[in-house]
Amino acid sequence: MKERKRILIGKIGLDGHDNGIRIVSKWLADAGFEVIYLGLYNTPEGMVKAVIQENADLIGCSFLGGEQLFYCRKLLHLLRQNGLDDKKLIVGGVIPPDDVKTLKEMGVSAIFTPGTMKNTLLQKVRELVET
Amino acid sequence: MKVSDKIQYDRYLKGEKLPHFRTLSGIEMKEFYTREDSPRDPPDPGILPFTRGIYKDMYRGRLWTRRQQSGFGTPEESNNRIHYLLSKGMTGLNIDFDIATKLGLDPDHPLAEGDVGLQGTSVATLEDMDVLFQGIPLDKVSTTLIVNPPYSAIIMAMYLLVARRQRVEASSLIGTIMNCAITQLVGPTYQSGTHFFPLDPAIKIASDVMEYCIHHIPRWNIININSRNIRETGVNAVQEVAFVFSLALEYIRSLLARGMDIDQFAPRIGFFATVHIDFLEEIAKLRAMRRIWARLMKDTFGAKNPRSCWLRVAIQTSSLPLTAQQPLNNIARAAIQTLAAVLGGSQSIHTTSYDEGYALPTEESHVLAIRTQQIIAYETGVCRTADPFGGSYVIEKLTDEIEERVLALMEIIENKGGFLECFKSQWIENEINEARYEYARQLESGELIQVGVNMEREEEEEVKISIFRQESDMQEKRIQYIKEYKRSRNGDKVKRALEKLYRRVKENPDKNLFQTILETVDEKATLGEICDALREAYDFKVHYI
Repeated sequence: MKERKRILIGKIGLDGHDNGIRIVSKWLADAGFEVIYLGLYNTPEGMVKAVIQENADLIGCSFLGGEQLFYCRKLLHLLRQNGLDDKKLIVGGVIPPDDVKTLKEMGVSAIFTPGTMKNTLLQKVRELVET
Repeated sequence: MKVSDKIQYDRYLKGEKLPHFRTLSGIEMKEFYTREDSPRDPPDPGILPFTRGIYKDMYRGRLWTRRQQSGFGTPEESNNRIHYLLSKGMTGLNIDFDIATKLGLDPDHPLAEGDVGLQGTSVATLEDMDVLFQGIPLDKVSTTLIVNPPYSAIIMAMYLLVARRQRVEASSLIGTIMNCAITQLVGPTYQSGTHFFPLDPAIKIASDVMEYCIHHIPRWNIININSRNIRETGVNAVQEVAFVFSLALEYIRSLLARGMDIDQFAPRIGFFATVHIDFLEEIAKLRAMRRIWARLMKDTFGAKNPRSCWLRVAIQTSSLPLTAQQPLNNIARAAIQTLAAVLGGSQSIHTTSYDEGYALPTEESHVLAIRTQQIIAYETGVCRTADPFGGSYVIEKLTDEIEERVLALMEIIENKGGFLECFKSQWIENEINEARYEYARQLESGELIQVGVNMEREEEEEVKISIFRQESDMQEKRIQYIKEYKRSRNGDKVKRALEKLYRRVKENPDKNLFQTILETVDEKATLGEICDALREAYDFKVHYI
């Protein structure tokens, strides 16, 4: 049997808006992924530790207050520092178009803004974990 | 013929139809309503139970307050925006603090650095508060301070000390402290209400603030229980109201337990609710809220003062129906939501801006929100008479149905031990999550339609609106500021004040803490330091990796 892909999901920083990330976690779990939900108030360092401990294949975060550039930069840097370059990061939330561009340049694999439909998201995630 | 053409022509031939006839909270609506659905007319506006409004003349006597939330970046930047909005027709302040402030962390805290000044303004010192209200007469403009306990005690203390500097008497202050321990951050989700401060002491300190305000700031509203944030988690209108009233019962009981009389404090409790896009249901909801509240106060708590039975409600129109797709559509949505808030008889309104799906409002979108309210107030004519929909069969019937469903859910919560118990056991959290999944499911299935999202969607849409941007060095500035502040004050005095506060909690855990907190603020202890002293005194540690 094929092993289920493991997706680590958590919010970094102080933003507590978890409506979207809860729904996305449910979609992923229903679609057969192993979802490890870390909840709110994680640090980039904590996320990296969890990636190692949980042996995650993919990391998902969400930002609804404008924290995305600060924390994604930090998280991607720490992943590289720990030799985890192969772990892809996906981001959701309230992200202005300029930041979508910057995040992509930074190395974020996919960005999902409000109104993303379930199939669009699942298709992209499958693509990412299978390549 | 292309397939898309065929769909188009079928639309013309058959006519378009709604996917179903249920309200957002699941009430199945009838083909039409008659007198049989609403056999009795409610009492007139201004008469118990105030279904038709708390005042006889409603907006003829006074329009609602246009109270746009504002707050971002440094206190200087927010002060500028506040002055700008007041010059553009805003009539009350609604100050939002950043999350670090709302969680009791100074900007230099390792967990705070990435969030400083983003979702509100950063306030950590008494001097910050002074800057924030520079040039604003606190006895003439009413202010809502959006902050939860125990941090509300510190912000309230700062506000009082700033008033003192302005030579404004506490008795002349007008406004509201939100002061709700459970709903203020992002609604009643368990982790957000418990991660940075223990829940029971937070509620105790909320009551300390309320008690102090009752005795010393006679025109101040002591709590504003936030059903808007409850709703924004994804629950429906019935859950929104049942949750918020069940929570209100807890606060009332805690004040009664301190020996206060219901008529002493009930007139100073306010509510902050939302209006979603379901026009008829939301109007009915606000009417039902007033009726339920009035009866609770009168029948359950024996209030004698009619003002104790007034449900005064501030509205911020809901962000959930607003979309990132085709953002200009949100201008139409917010106008309809604002109209529902007016027809529902609310006391103050924040119209959520069309750029909500991208960032905080720009000056332009902020002003457009004020103009939307002015158009409704002065051009549409809906304010010429109180409760214009009163006696409408469907509105009266929906009001009855929502009331009935809210009371049934409140009874379930009471039977489970009350709201706090349900919050602690995470029953509330589960209800919220179920509601979220259901909302998302309906959006996927097309039972719920959002234009631009699951209807008329344009792929690869280019966003053409201008979007608010923070100053790039704002966070760094704030972090440097607070470090410098801590270096330059009299450290011994701060240390002594913090130790006194710590001892006060340890030695007299039940006594009111507000005065001691006020003295600590006056000695220039920062918000984060005061919270740390309190955390230590309550044997609580903030956990993070």
